[in-house]
Amino acid sequence: MTTAGRRVRAVHQFHPILSAGDAMSDHIFALRSRFRSWGYESDAFCVEAKGEVAAETRPYRELFRGTTPDDLLVLHFSMGHEVYDQLAKLRARKALVFHNITPPQFFIGVNSHAAAYARLGHRQLKALAPKIDMAIGVSEFDRRALVEAGYANTATVPILIDWSRLDVEPAEDVRGLLHGIKTKLLFVGRISPNKRQDDLIRMLAYYRRCIDPDAILILVGSHRDQPEYYSRLKALAESLGLTGAVRFTGTVTNAELVAYYREASCFVSLSEHEGFGVPLLEAMYLGTPVVAFDAAAVGETVDRAGVLLPRKDLAEAAEACALVNEDLGWRQRLVDAGHERVKAFDPDTVAARTREALGL
Amino acid sequence: MTSDPGSPPAVPERVDIDALLAEVRARVRRKRERGIYSADVDAMLRAELPGGARLLADDVKDPIAALAQALDEGVVYDPTSHKRFVGAFITLGRRVTIGLIRWWVAAILDRQDRIDRLLASAYDVEGRLAPRFGERLERLEREFERRREHEVASNMHSGYFQARFGGTEPVIREQAERFLDLYRGRTRVLDIASGRGVFLELMRDNSIGAYGVDLDQRMVATARERGFEAFESDAVAHLRSLPASSIDGAFARHIAEHILPGDAVEMLRELRRVLQPGSPVVFITPNVSTLTVGAHTFWMDPSHLRPIPPDLFQFWLELEGFVDVSTVTFEPSTEHLSEDVSDPVVRENVRLLNRTLFGDRDYAVIGHQPSA
Repeated sequence: MTTAGRRVRAVHQFHPILSAGDAMSDHIFALRSRFRSWGYESDAFCVEAKGEVAAETRPYRELFRGTTPDDLLVLHFSMGHEVYDQLAKLRARKALVFHNITPPQFFIGVNSHAAAYARLGHRQLKALAPKIDMAIGVSEFDRRALVEAGYANTATVPILIDWSRLDVEPAEDVRGLLHGIKTKLLFVGRISPNKRQDDLIRMLAYYRRCIDPDAILILVGSHRDQPEYYSRLKALAESLGLTGAVRFTGTVTNAELVAYYREASCFVSLSEHEGFGVPLLEAMYLGTPVVAFDAAAVGETVDRAGVLLPRKDLAEAAEACALVNEDLGWRQRLVDAGHERVKAFDPDTVAARTREALGL
Repeated sequence: MTSDPGSPPAVPERVDIDALLAEVRARVRRKRERGIYSADVDAMLRAELPGGARLLADDVKDPIAALAQALDEGVVYDPTSHKRFVGAFITLGRRVTIGLIRWWVAAILDRQDRIDRLLASAYDVEGRLAPRFGERLERLEREFERRREHEVASNMHSGYFQARFGGTEPVIREQAERFLDLYRGRTRVLDIASGRGVFLELMRDNSIGAYGVDLDQRMVATARERGFEAFESDAVAHLRSLPASSIDGAFARHIAEHILPGDAVEMLRELRRVLQPGSPVVFITPNVSTLTVGAHTFWMDPSHLRPIPPDLFQFWLELEGFVDVSTVTFEPSTEHLSEDVSDPVVRENVRLLNRTLFGDRDYAVIGHQPSA
């Protein structure tokens, strides 16, 4: 367990924001357990901790005091932040895990703050390249972006997903709430313009007019960071006469999340930018068929274990959902393929590959 | 490395997504046909996100609209900190700082806003913030192209025109034979607009090395089928591609009247560069000093751009440095006024009229590259 001839003492991770129920934060905590189990001192550092994870994290300033050249610092990167410039000066070995940056154009007109951070992110990603020893993309799509940004030493290792999180009893109240509704279209992910929840709402309009007048759309995910987009989504639903049919759940517990997946007729994503797409795999794990628009890393994550839509046609997206709801043959084949696909993200395998890529 | 960690075993029964999508599309089609997927459903699918700017408005395809929008966008900053305990103090600190520098920042922003608007309106030509340069340029280019096409009636089927008015092969060959002696013993003569290869055939029959260029791909194909060396190319472009002193003769029958004078001059300059010393050039074109040609038959071919009087053509060659420049006319008119008149004055007048109205129908201007 040596790198460049020297024994690594600690493997610390950093991301500006860590929060509960966020796929990247979960990834970081799952990696931390592995690093610790391999005998390293390991902590998760951040600038801001949101929700109940605060006790699990350490403030980033402590990195400037305790870090030695024998430490490995793993910088997770999904947005620009001034702290990266400071951390790059630390004498530790540095690895970067790239989760991709939502392109700024998605935020223009709805969140200029996020657009500015996205632009900063692209600049910083390039500037960091010479200071990073090893860069990992969580998808091949992300790895290619790293190469484009000037990183020489790259690898693709997917997100480490702690599946046991989903092995809980589904929340009863959710099941009660959805009882008796035939069509329940589900999407899980932060409310964010790149995820195009607005297209999902338009698609629901088609679904109710042309397929099932009682269909509902469940949008699971926090809307805290995108208040303007969120309020405009509600206005869109209202203008299309869908107010009661679009259900925003906000942040949910694991038990609730499992209940939504299990109750859903299908999981549908019209997102136009994903660096990986954990919910696609969560749906497969819990036996929900997946219909997804093929954009960014979505295609490689789904890998023929779901209905990949090659073009953004909302009528086709709705009919694809209807087909997998109605045709039990298709549905079963997709569910089986999903279960098979999830095996490729076995935590032990992913952990071993992370270890290899980081040279630990 | 790939995105497939640990190369998973193949999915047991691969899902035929293509078949599924085909069924999906069939469903959409049926609903359209039955009127269930109607125009108002379409309108719902295209509904804009209400309450503000269009999503993804900053499209590089429409930067002007995005600029207009950005100019009118307010900047919102929420100074509230959500940190526990210290959050309230941070929020207070931010508010105080903002309060202190508010007027200074506002003054700078106001000036910047004025500069932005001035810049934007400086480009605003038609009273709207969208000069749409690219669009206008494309429209102009399109219209210019259309004008060029209409000027020469390129939408007319040239094959029919050739069949009705074009010269027959024996006539063309006979015209070319007149200049055969100029080319004897030469090895690399260029036929500009070589057509089906009549001139090239004459050259081959007399063991003269020659090749042709033509714009018409079908003509080039026909010439090649007959075993001639021919290329599909614009004459001037081809000449430009040649090294200096690389050919030893040029022949151009009925080409000068199809191009603009500036192009003709450029062709002459390029010929001066690529011809070896002493090489001949021959240009054949309608003799517009015969008025029945200049006023009538010249215009039978809509692709004729403008007539070139013989003395002008000769002058061009002299001006560009060709030597021993001369002009000959041929192809006599079939109709004549009778000169069988007893009054000598009237007879002279009739002769003058015959020369002016019914003279030779074609002429050639001949020049030579000066000797080294």
